[in-house]
Amino acid sequence: MAVQYIEANNVSLTFTPPNRMPVTALQGFDVAVGEGEFVSIVGPSGCGKSTFLNVLLGLIAPNSGEMAINGNPVSGPGRDRAMVFQEFGLLPWRTVQDNIGLAPELRGVGKRQRRDLCQTFIDMVGLSGFEAHYPHELSGGMKQRVGIARALVSDPDVLLMDEPFAALDAQTRDIMQAELLRIWSEAKKTVLFVTHQIEEAVYLSDRVIVMTKRPGRTKTIIDIPLDRPRDYEMRVTPEFNELKLSIWNELKDEIDTQGGPHLG
Amino acid sequence: MDQAVEQTAERPRKLAGLEAAMEVDELTGWAKFYDDWRRVILGAMAVTLFFVFWEALLTWGIPLNKFIISKPSLIFIGLFRDIESGLIWRDLLVSGKPLFFGFGAAILVGVPVGVVMGWRVRVGYSLDPLLTALYASPLVAIAPLVIIFFGVGISGKAILIFVLCVFPFVFNSYSGVRSVDRLLVDTVRAFGGGELALYRIVLVPTVLPFVIAGARYAVGRGLIGVLVGEFFAASEGVGYRIAWYGDMYVLDRMFGYILMLMVIAVIFTEGIRWAERTAFPWRVGM
Repeated sequence: MAVQYIEANNVSLTFTPPNRMPVTALQGFDVAVGEGEFVSIVGPSGCGKSTFLNVLLGLIAPNSGEMAINGNPVSGPGRDRAMVFQEFGLLPWRTVQDNIGLAPELRGVGKRQRRDLCQTFIDMVGLSGFEAHYPHELSGGMKQRVGIARALVSDPDVLLMDEPFAALDAQTRDIMQAELLRIWSEAKKTVLFVTHQIEEAVYLSDRVIVMTKRPGRTKTIIDIPLDRPRDYEMRVTPEFNELKLSIWNELKDEIDTQGGPHLG
Repeated sequence: MDQAVEQTAERPRKLAGLEAAMEVDELTGWAKFYDDWRRVILGAMAVTLFFVFWEALLTWGIPLNKFIISKPSLIFIGLFRDIESGLIWRDLLVSGKPLFFGFGAAILVGVPVGVVMGWRVRVGYSLDPLLTALYASPLVAIAPLVIIFFGVGISGKAILIFVLCVFPFVFNSYSGVRSVDRLLVDTVRAFGGGELALYRIVLVPTVLPFVIAGARYAVGRGLIGVLVGEFFAASEGVGYRIAWYGDMYVLDRMFGYILMLMVIAVIFTEGIRWAERTAFPWRVGM
């Protein structure tokens, strides 16, 4: 196999919650994503899929394994990656514009330049006119638009998305999925997308990685050969449902019917 | 707390907005003026009524015994006499200085202590029980001791005020730091922020509103500190004057001073509340 854009080999992570037994979140997890690809990771609750994104982001150091992005090994947070968080992670005391300008600000980009830079992405995510609003004045969908713009503004090579639409209601989620596809085709980023919703994974992705239950490993990888650009009608085609079913069949054996603890 | 109360008070008006939406007419003239200033007008009316009732009661109700009570008209006249003679300004200056220094020292010591307690778990666990006990106890009880140690002058009073004011700052900064959102810390780190950026972008904006709220409690305690300090031992100052007028049975003057203190306390707390609303607009939605 050729050298991939995102490569993670044999990543393992064990952590010990306070006053508990050690938990093995990931064991020998492999991921390979090509440049410009949209890849989703689905898995049962607590399989370590979100944890893996935090490892790849550089917030958590793995016990073993190697990770590289475009050939550069990952050790700590870096400009080549940006995360969109499930709970948005917006600074409540900052306006939309200042939230989006966080990464350039931390890099020391001047105020004027920052504003121009932000405006491009504010327009791209459809938030023109809301530059001076505070997060509490926005709906959930708009908050996540800010989260996406904030991630894109630093021009990362890779966009990591940790269940970004899980906190939204069903209709907003549908709209945001379509919006994400539009933004993705404009911004041309490599995306690694974690979700527990199979339909979302099929609709958005080029490939879907199905994880085992904890300790998380790759169970199988399913190609999604649907045409792009994708539209809402595709979701009711037999082909689409076929793909959903095949993922479900892989996933159902992994789901703990008793409902284990959620460790992300 | 206060915010919640204010919000529930506003809620019926939001519902009333529904009726307003159906009626196209805009409010005009007095109706609009009343609608805009309803809170202030109703509040001011209650205060005025209180004084009118007090005046009326002692004019026509029960006979006025100047040795045990006074009435608003006499109090206001007395207050203006003291303002005219300049006595009140001198006393305010004498009492204001220790308040300023004691309060300032409480901020400078209390906030860093609270922040370190929140940031370093071991420091927090060690200091929490001791400081909680001190905060909960009526520390004015040690006023005589402080005066004996540090004298009747400005330093004794300032230290008493400091002791009373420092705890709201400690505990509010402490809970401020502990309420820092883990996700925001991760976010700033993920976008390349170091320790300093975390302080500036996450810690300070989280803790600052807590500190200002602490200041509101501390002002009240500080005023108590001034008075108690001057009740015990002083030859001038607001507290001394109140005690002295009381001893002399010049009750109209005494009430004049108390009235002035009330006005000052209201100005302080309302001023801080106004500063909170202006400086932290995002908190309106929290």
